Amino acid sequence: MKQTLTCVVILFSIHFVLKTEKLFKREGIGHDVIPVPREISSDCGMAVEFSCREKERVLDLLSSADIRIAGLYIRDGKNSFQPISPENIAQNAVN
Amino acid sequence: MSPTPASIYCDNAATSFPKPREVIDAVSSVLSRVSLSPGRSAHQFSLECSRIIFDTREALAELFNCHDSSRIAFTCNVTEALNVGIFGLLGVKLQPGDHVITTALEHNSVMRPLRYLGKTADIRLSILPVADDGEVMVSELPRLMQDNTRLIVANHVSNVTGAVVDVEAIGRDKGDAVFLVDAAQSAGVFPIDVVKMNIDMLAFTGHKSLLGPSGSGGFYLRQGLSLRPLKMGGTGSNSETEIQPDFMPDLYEAGTPNTLGIAGLGAGVRFVGSTGLTNIREHEQKLCRLFLDGVGQMKEITVFGPAADKERAAVVSLRVKGKSESEVAQSLDRDFNIMVRAGLHCAPAAHRAIGTFADGTVRFSFGLFNTEADVAACLKALEIISKK
Repeated sequence: MKQTLTCVVILFSIHFVLKTEKLFKREGIGHDVIPVPREISSDCGMAVEFSCREKERVLDLLSSADIRIAGLYIRDGKNSFQPISPENIAQNAVN
Repeated sequence: MSPTPASIYCDNAATSFPKPREVIDAVSSVLSRVSLSPGRSAHQFSLECSRIIFDTREALAELFNCHDSSRIAFTCNVTEALNVGIFGLLGVKLQPGDHVITTALEHNSVMRPLRYLGKTADIRLSILPVADDGEVMVSELPRLMQDNTRLIVANHVSNVTGAVVDVEAIGRDKGDAVFLVDAAQSAGVFPIDVVKMNIDMLAFTGHKSLLGPSGSGGFYLRQGLSLRPLKMGGTGSNSETEIQPDFMPDLYEAGTPNTLGIAGLGAGVRFVGSTGLTNIREHEQKLCRLFLDGVGQMKEITVFGPAADKERAAVVSLRVKGKSESEVAQSLDRDFNIMVRAGLHCAPAAHRAIGTFADGTVRFSFGLFNTEADVAACLKALEIISKK
């Protein structure tokens, strides 16, 4: 995973991080649950990192599972993240 | 010297005992292996605790046919859950002067908040009565409904008589009113389907038939319904802001949760699932029928509540002629090692409805781990006590 470009999805709370983790495990999507990078937010939560190759599939899955996304980033350096614009993020159902 | 008989626990309506080994192990495992700050720190212990809590939420969602486990919030018991529901609706769906309907068999965890709102917020209350056969007359609901009926609160099963309330019928006839079900005595024994029963909020406890430890419980709240939370504070989410998150479960879960209790509750719910609700209920109802058949033959004993051939929980309230309830309970405990509960069971309204206020009754409540031998011992003890 370190050699490919990775994406980091920020969820609204640990509940949705774990719901995403469960979904990724079920769908066989490689992932890592990481602390929310300080460069992105000072929130004391967790985020889910995965290969950007899976981005479209992930967005579809999260949308189908009614999991709202708080943010989506590409990791373009060890501590550097570029936000993916909202237009490129699938719209999820509102809670 | 004869050996002391092994103790026989018949107070499962208060709390279930014993707990499955899996529940004890779950609590012990969390306590000894990981620190207990889920959803706050970013380390592996915190994440493991968060997973334990998440898994318990998912197990409860499956049990209640809730499609989104984020709609389940944890509290320290069902009393707290009911208070969150009743007080949390004030100013949201319930305004001063509005009307609420409840049943005649409610526990004080419902009656006290409602009476308080009656005194302080001019909430008008109507009560669904109990028929002579011990059943709540749900058919009276349409007659009691008013234009400003905003809330209906009903316990699914009475903790005094074991009567089962037809909550599905209430869900059908409730109109726009919020329907809050107190599942303290039913969760883990009777099927609860929040979708089919049209339940807006379900309050449950962890330490009765869900077989978890005390200090656990919570509620389900349907999508689209929001309550004023009881408490606000740290949630491990939205930490940059001083505003409480507006999404579940965080909205209702400020503060460090009772991870130990929730871990035990999760193990209990999974145990219930693997044993099977129907198997549990059939076992308990069989014991209850045996008990009712036995006391039915003792002319000194009066039973209050539904007959043995009705759908009921294994909760039996009785009186022994010529003996006070506390005297009977004390004799059962000291002379026969049988544990029951005497008095009003925190439900004076229910005792008024069945005619046993203010002395109350002796309550036997059988659980999953009671046996036919336990029932036989109880009957033998009652026979001796009643003839003394």
